[in-house]
Amino acid sequence: MQVGLKVWRFDSTTGDRELKEYEIDAPEWATLLDCLDIVKDKHDGSLAYRKSCRMMICGSCGMRMNGAAVLACKTRMYDIAQAGHVPVISAMGNLPIVKDLVVDMDPFWAKFKAMKPWLQPGYEQPEDGREYRISQERMNVIHKEALCINCGCCVSECNAMESDPEFLGPQALAKGMRFVGDPRDAATVERLEEYNSEHGIWDCTRCYFCNERCPKGVDPRDAIAKLGAESVKEGIDRDMGAKHAKWFVKSAETTGWLRETELVPKTQGVVASIKEVKFAMSLAKHGKVPPPFPPHVAVAVDESRNLHKLVKEQEHEGAAGIVQGEAALAHLSEGYDHERDPYGEGSFPKPYLPAEEGET
Amino acid sequence: MIAKHDVLVVGAGCAGMRAAIEAFDTGATVAMISKIHPTRSHSGAAEGGINAALGNASEDNPEIHAFDTVKGSDYLGDQDAIQILCDEAPDDVYELEHWGAVFSRTEDGRIAQRPFGAAGAPRTAYAADITGHVLIQVLYEQVCKRDIPVYEEFFAWQLVVDEHRCQGVICWDLLHGGLKTIGAKTVILATGGAGRLYTGTTNAYACTGDGMAMALRVGVPLKDMEMMQFHPTTLAPTGVLITEGCRGEGAYLLNKDGERFLKRYAPNAMELASRDVISRAEQVEIDEGRGVDGNVMLDLRHLGPQKIIERLPGSRELAMTFAGVDPIFEPIPVRPGAHYHMGGVETDVWGQTELEGLYAAGEVACVSVHGANRLGGNALMETITYGKRTGRHAAEWALSNTTVTVPESAESDARRELDELLDREEGERPWAIRDELAETMHVNFGVFRREHQMQQEGEIVTGLRERYERVVVEDKGDVFNSDLTQALELGFLLDLAECMIVAGLERKESRGAHARPYDYPERDDENYLRHTIVRWIDGAPRLDWAPVRMTKWKPQERKY
Repeated sequence: MQVGLKVWRFDSTTGDRELKEYEIDAPEWATLLDCLDIVKDKHDGSLAYRKSCRMMICGSCGMRMNGAAVLACKTRMYDIAQAGHVPVISAMGNLPIVKDLVVDMDPFWAKFKAMKPWLQPGYEQPEDGREYRISQERMNVIHKEALCINCGCCVSECNAMESDPEFLGPQALAKGMRFVGDPRDAATVERLEEYNSEHGIWDCTRCYFCNERCPKGVDPRDAIAKLGAESVKEGIDRDMGAKHAKWFVKSAETTGWLRETELVPKTQGVVASIKEVKFAMSLAKHGKVPPPFPPHVAVAVDESRNLHKLVKEQEHEGAAGIVQGEAALAHLSEGYDHERDPYGEGSFPKPYLPAEEGET
Repeated sequence: MIAKHDVLVVGAGCAGMRAAIEAFDTGATVAMISKIHPTRSHSGAAEGGINAALGNASEDNPEIHAFDTVKGSDYLGDQDAIQILCDEAPDDVYELEHWGAVFSRTEDGRIAQRPFGAAGAPRTAYAADITGHVLIQVLYEQVCKRDIPVYEEFFAWQLVVDEHRCQGVICWDLLHGGLKTIGAKTVILATGGAGRLYTGTTNAYACTGDGMAMALRVGVPLKDMEMMQFHPTTLAPTGVLITEGCRGEGAYLLNKDGERFLKRYAPNAMELASRDVISRAEQVEIDEGRGVDGNVMLDLRHLGPQKIIERLPGSRELAMTFAGVDPIFEPIPVRPGAHYHMGGVETDVWGQTELEGLYAAGEVACVSVHGANRLGGNALMETITYGKRTGRHAAEWALSNTTVTVPESAESDARRELDELLDREEGERPWAIRDELAETMHVNFGVFRREHQMQQEGEIVTGLRERYERVVVEDKGDVFNSDLTQALELGFLLDLAECMIVAGLERKESRGAHARPYDYPERDDENYLRHTIVRWIDGAPRLDWAPVRMTKWKPQERKY
């Protein structure tokens, strides 16, 4: 098939940038990575990109196609080429470009290392010298985080990092959750304290682009949510983000809805809120502020209160409340048709054993 | 020389990182060189699991593990090395677990173990079907904890030998350009395999046999190079791996009629026979017209969605992405593909090579644990157990020796050679040579081997080498010049192909992965129960033989 590609070339020694178009002949099964290989072999040997496993596990070939991060080896080109699209290929975002599609991963790994990404075992070393005894259910809490291949696609798309380059970012925080959620790790509180500091978990803007673009289903935003929930559970709530979240819960539990009027003082504190008085007054003048007293109580407030009780009773506070069950564990995006019969009409023949010699 | 270390590890996969960690813990100053970031190493693509006789799924012990491995090796494995592996495996796996490896769990919370091919018990500890990924992560975490320096994206090209000792490595700095020499009292090769010699291979682009070729070029012998394992379940067209864990969980192999054809080849073990047996059976089915477009079918349908999704999610993802097939509903078309090099740099049970100061561990090495056929799950275990032993020995040796000298001439010779390549303006670019090598090796040195085809391949490789002499690198720049490193990798591959062919021609029998059904269909213990040894002398490979180290297991007929 004919495949057209526009590739943003970049030469860091001169600073030159150029969008180059290539028209190549590729087999129908070709991925974006295969196509880049053909460009490099037959058209331009100086094209630079990283690659290794070509089976979605090494994380080398993160790059952007039409402005969205992808793994080149996971991206089949057939439909794109058939539709006549000529996609624009560029280096990942939020990281300095070294050459063409190769970015400098040092800032990425620096944040990874800032998470102290190693198990800090403490209590209950197994006495018999064998393995820790942990249930599969308990390990499932970090199942998705453990899938991360450090490709950087989430970091490339992170909106918070675009405005605050020092934000720890989705990959590093997902790695952090991998340890916070591990029952073998004894440094949970110390970790949460660190991840709660400036540029930490509460700086995430919850745009969900990391979940959207992660090629492995890690769902880094969910990991950040788990870290937030664990922090609150451990009483680490000095950040405004934590206070904000806590007030949502408290408000829903007491009156069944969000009491916005109290949200600002509860989040920012009374002193800081005074600065906002002028703004609040103008809102009130335009009828945008409901009267704070008496608080409006939702009709079905009991349901809200029961929900709160249920979470406590079922011990689903903290990260446990954010685990989404087995469907989520198995890539929601790759669900399957429960009605379809694998042996139905048109399917591959049922297996059978060959007849033994002498049998008919 | 830009730096000097006690121990320098070349390659940062499971074996390299385990060696570096052990050398560090022994008290040596350690650094690693890797042409890709450590977590990108191909150990991470291992799927099914790691073998240790933990006995978590049923009664098991290292003795049975050792016997299975000896038998699986078609008796070419060195039995002392196998015994060490199997004895030390359980504690080495517990250590990984204590470091935080995210293993799958049994009902009672222990490390889960699944059945694998040719194993007498469910012995393969696993993490769903991403075991290698989990191990790579946990090892890199431990490397970070110790703050072991890594020369990332440094392409190791030549070993420095001075006074009959290996004393460093000359590298090309991929990110910034330029030759950089790093001195070391001991060098550990942990560069993995050379699957890129074949078109259909499970191996990454990075698996170009760098360490084997570097050792060969300084006179260190390679052992059993004809022994390239073909994995029975790889996806067309490029050979992406579908784990043996599928069959461990109960998947069937079918021909085009739906027949479980293995009943006719391995009536007892069926889908869990050893890899060489199954690959040959598949190839016969395909050759005799009972395949489906050059494939047989791996059928998981009867396992049901839940088991597939919980235990084999990665395989499902691979099948959906690369074959367009959801294994819940359709069988996966698979065929044999080059997977693992049992052969490699000859070492003793501490990873030492013939050259003082040079060590090797993992797939690059040949201890030999795998003999003529490796059992699934034993490779990851070898990287850990022998990585650890090698790291310790290299560190102890380094701590008791002091000097490192890199002669000026070593660097200047390398620079001259490189400049000659980079200055060449006219000639052929390497890719066609690379593709022809891989395509012809697949045809002529594949699952089945014929005398005339191997000879023909020898001639082809000679021709390709001549073309390679005039090869031209188009990119002349310093920054991320992968055009240059790919050309150097091709040079490594060509050397190794020659070694494999020489050894393959001379092993006139059928043993494990070396199957010659047309002229020497039987195993011949009288003449060939010994290792092939290849040295590079005066620009050509020269073959020799070495005895197999036997302890207590006498060769028997091998049936599954």
